[in-house]
Amino acid sequence: MLSRGTVYKGKTGMWAFTAHRVTGFLVLMFLLLHVVDVTLAGISEHLYDTVHAVYGNVLLRLFEVGLLGALVFHALNGLRIIAVDFFDAAVRRQKQLAWAVVAVTAVVTVLGGIVIMLPFFTHKPVF
Amino acid sequence: MAQTLDRNETGTESDQSSAAPNRAEARMWYYMRISGLILVFLALIHFAITHIVNDVVETDFAFVQTRWSNPLWRFFDWTLLALALSHGVIGVRTIAEDYIRKPRLRVAVKALLFTVVAGIFLLGTITIVTFSA
Ligand code: HEM
Repeated sequence: MLSRGTVYKGKTGMWAFTAHRVTGFLVLMFLLLHVVDVTLAGISEHLYDTVHAVYGNVLLRLFEVGLLGALVFHALNGLRIIAVDFFDAAVRRQKQLAWAVVAVTAVVTVLGGIVIMLPFFTHKPVF
Repeated sequence: MAQTLDRNETGTESDQSSAAPNRAEARMWYYMRISGLILVFLALIHFAITHIVNDVVETDFAFVQTRWSNPLWRFFDWTLLALALSHGVIGVRTIAEDYIRKPRLRVAVKALLFTVVAGIFLLGTITIVTFSA
């Protein structure tokens, strides 16, 4: 393999590598959009509140859950990559670590997803 | 920049035919890991406060006002902005290096990427610094 795929020691397979790329890219795209919407707050209170209210609809809430999943996966898998780069013990436990990343991501995304989606139906914040 | 491109054509991390680009690549490799470690805290704390503890509809203008009345939150948000954008842009640069085989297209895409991200960084910085709470 000639590309930077070489930094991923071990043979956990292509899926974690691909998922890390896709989630990193998507989180950056969201961040670019997010800076633009916060910039509106510096321009006008009314403008910001009007645009921001759109995030409360069901589609953008689902999008928010997706962002949570992408961010949590990328963060945990990033930690796994770093551990594998620096510690032999982590290289030996590659597979288990990769599955732990997937499991924790799933749990956090489902629980967080419930907190994010519920207010749409109950019309009041969870906390 | 042209030399950096050569590295990709000639081989792997251990290729010593051109030392300077390799040193730049090594620095970026470390930067991704160090910024990643800090981002675990900054990005996840940010998400927890503004998406979980507070519902989206609660993070309105008044919320931003209260939050940014504390300079420490402005500092937190600006650090997150700087680290996430720099980490993200270096990451997408790697993706461009790996998948775009046509040299001129690759240079064009990277130029566009750097320009857009620099613009967004400027916009975010101005907003955080000049917002009057
Ligand atoms: C939350 C904590 C984060 C950690 C621990 C983390 C960690 C990492 C690591 C270790 C890499 C691999 C670098 C390499 O192979 O040289 C990486 C790549 C990347 N990260 Fe992050 N990151 C985090 C947050 C972010 C954020 C917020 C963004 C978007 C703004 C992002 C975007 C990317 C991109 C686009 C890549 C390139 C993927 C590739 O080269 O295959 N990351 N990250």
